[in-house]
Amino acid sequence: MTASSTLTDDELYGAGLAALGASPGVLRKFLDGYDAPEAWEAIARGRHRADPDRRYRTKAVPRTLDAVATSCVQAGVSVMILGRPGYPPALADDRQAPGVLFGMGEVAALERRPRVAVVGTRSATAYGLGVASELGRDLARSGVVVVSGGALGIDSAAHGGALGVDDGATTVAVLGTALDAATTRSQAALRDALGCRGAMLSEIPPGVHSARWWFAVRNRVMAALAHVVVVVECHHRGGSLHTVAAALARGVTVTAVPGSVRSPASAGTNRLLVEGAAPVRDVDDVLTAVELAIVTRPDITPPRRPPVVRRQAGPRPTAPLRAMASRVREALDQDPATLDVVVRRSGLPLGEVSLALEELSDAGLAVGEKGWWSRPRR
Amino acid sequence: MLARIPSATLHGVDGRPVSVEVHVSAGLPGFTVVGLPDAAVRESRDRVRAALLSSQLSWPSRRVTVNLAPSGVRKTGAGLDLPIAIGLLVAAEVLPSRCVEQTGFVGELGLDGSVRPVPGIASLVASIGAQQIVVPVAASAEAALVAGERVRPASTVAEVVAALLGRGTWADTPCAAASPPAVSEPDLLEVRGQVVARRALEIAAAGGHHLLLVGAPGSGKTMLATRLPGILPDLTRDEALEVLRIHSAAGASAGAGTFPSRPPFRAPHHGATEVAIVGGGSSWLRPGEISLAHAGVLFLDELGEFPATILDALRQPLEEHVIRVRRARGAIDFPARFLLVGAMNPCPCGEGGLPGACRCTETMRRRYLRRLSAPLLDRFDLAITLGRPDVEDLLGGPPGDSSAVVASRVGQARALARERGVRCNSELRFDAVDSPCALSADAAALLERRLRSGTLSARGLHRVRRVAQTIADLDGVRGVDERHVAEALQLRSARTALVAEPGQ
Repeated sequence: MTASSTLTDDELYGAGLAALGASPGVLRKFLDGYDAPEAWEAIARGRHRADPDRRYRTKAVPRTLDAVATSCVQAGVSVMILGRPGYPPALADDRQAPGVLFGMGEVAALERRPRVAVVGTRSATAYGLGVASELGRDLARSGVVVVSGGALGIDSAAHGGALGVDDGATTVAVLGTALDAATTRSQAALRDALGCRGAMLSEIPPGVHSARWWFAVRNRVMAALAHVVVVVECHHRGGSLHTVAAALARGVTVTAVPGSVRSPASAGTNRLLVEGAAPVRDVDDVLTAVELAIVTRPDITPPRRPPVVRRQAGPRPTAPLRAMASRVREALDQDPATLDVVVRRSGLPLGEVSLALEELSDAGLAVGEKGWWSRPRR
Repeated sequence: MLARIPSATLHGVDGRPVSVEVHVSAGLPGFTVVGLPDAAVRESRDRVRAALLSSQLSWPSRRVTVNLAPSGVRKTGAGLDLPIAIGLLVAAEVLPSRCVEQTGFVGELGLDGSVRPVPGIASLVASIGAQQIVVPVAASAEAALVAGERVRPASTVAEVVAALLGRGTWADTPCAAASPPAVSEPDLLEVRGQVVARRALEIAAAGGHHLLLVGAPGSGKTMLATRLPGILPDLTRDEALEVLRIHSAAGASAGAGTFPSRPPFRAPHHGATEVAIVGGGSSWLRPGEISLAHAGVLFLDELGEFPATILDALRQPLEEHVIRVRRARGAIDFPARFLLVGAMNPCPCGEGGLPGACRCTETMRRRYLRRLSAPLLDRFDLAITLGRPDVEDLLGGPPGDSSAVVASRVGQARALARERGVRCNSELRFDAVDSPCALSADAAALLERRLRSGTLSARGLHRVRRVAQTIADLDGVRGVDERHVAEALQLRSARTALVAEPGQ
């Protein structure tokens, strides 16, 4: 058993317990009053009080241990067990903390620093992606750890923004899949970067296939880690609302980025605002919430306020716009519109509108996305 | 005694001349057909026998051998019934052979002696070189379009025999109707709003550019597509003949006895089989929907629902204007030069056009778009995003131009294309784009910026230039300026929504 030689007994049996496929609650009961090898032994003998029906007995065999140990070593995954040294203290006090946690990268980065969860929809607009990326960047610059879910859309944008800042490990992904799960190529690149210059956490042992419900369940981990939750874009009944619910249950501040009332991707966030979430316009608003949240926590380093940068009124056009281009610019607003709508609003022929849009997008005054046109933010 | 009767059989959409040789000799009574007949031809013995007997004509109680020459060509269908019956009568010396000199025959026989129409009569008649051709009366109008005065309509075998013997006269050849009955095509006038889509239709019609409509359900994709044939120019005589032959060979004659004058419009459902769309079949290779759309419009609604094999089979006809159907028994080229209009939702839920509105998972979206290979998407010169129409437009905004007005502009643009030696601008060769399409300096600079920023590929460049040329033609301008190029770029912008995430 060369593979397991790099894991301690605790880690090996802890990973094995997680690989039995029990729900997070049952897994915690396995470890309640037992240490990991004892718990394993008891389950294998059918004597564990958390497994009265002996449902997990058949899986508690050496083969399961071998498989999970090999996967952990191959993927370079560390195993953390609740109540043992190495388990993130930030999570240890949570009522629903995972019994066993798998990590990659600098998990220690979570400690003593303020943590903000930046969450949102996979199907985001250019606006949402831009805001998420900027928030990720600015939070990382302020010494805040960005916590997100590693999914496409808002999650990836937030991670990406934070990873662009060279200040140690700046961002942590809490995944709903195993850390070595196959992903799309763009996500694989993000995960590589997170492994090197951030951290990734998952409750699912490497080599184990994830189920859909894990995504909702892992949201409680994000909520438990965060001092403040920022919802950037979220549909009516979007998945980010699970994180919001988990955060509210823990007394974690929930903030939301306002969006257009016509944008379906902002329906959930706008409703949060109506229900009393604090609005977020930029990183300052988040930092204020963070400072309020950690005022009773002397162990947390307060965030650094970035120097105030005077914001320009907008990107300055390099050359004066032609009259036609100005008229087309007037016809654009923040909500994406089809070319048809732009033509109708401007009252110009299609050729003129097309040319003006080419000019405007070159000057950064119009954003074209899959045939839909809008003004850039600000 | 030997008789030799000219006839023809159908091979794809073309007729192949067949010489029906009937030999009657002493021996045990029997009837043999040789020379690659199919089941329908072999069954003709029973039909011919019953038809002759019920027409009070004799059936020789001798040994009958029918040879269908050339023996290497597979004969299909029942169109050889009539020539076999006549050959039999000549060989049995009921009819003197001088009566059938220089006379060809085509037609299926009923048991009561009636002469019935067969598919592909136009092609069959065209391939028979005889001075007069006897055809079923029901198909005589169609035959007359091709063979004119040589056609002799016949309704029964008895009538044919009487006319051949000089005891009766042929029925009158129906004269080809001078103008087809006016068909009502849907008019563009009925489309409210949708300025961009109307313009795209006009450009597609003028330049022969394939068009892709991407939009949520209810945005009017089908309504627009059905109005495209209405703004295409009338078929030329050659095109009409091709269309007639294809539709006739498929067994669905376009208009009985009239040349089709308007381009066909075919909209096969995505549940159709590959053979139904591409062409083929087990015994009788018949043209598919893409050939029936020849010289017209092929509309594929819900493009993403079509099986990938069918979509990929479209690539050859889109390039070469011909579909080559190969089977173990032979290969046939069917003409297939059509204007392709595709319509689809941007994603399975249909809302994905508007950024941020889609609720599909990435996997669902990718699975939906996977069938559209990049090479197929590249064939669409125009790809536009449709939004749901504006309420004010629906309730009576200013109406756009009617189909007739648009069609006249299309005709003028096509005339300019003909001066360049092509039917329409989409047929301009890559190396030939340069000389006619003189780009203004600003237009060249715009294209260069797009090429350098990577938003335009080398292949895309040529397509944009052709479309820009068509737009300039529609505007009645000789040179291509930056407005034309910008418009051409805008009118393919929906492509980006459909190309899968790079590297996937």
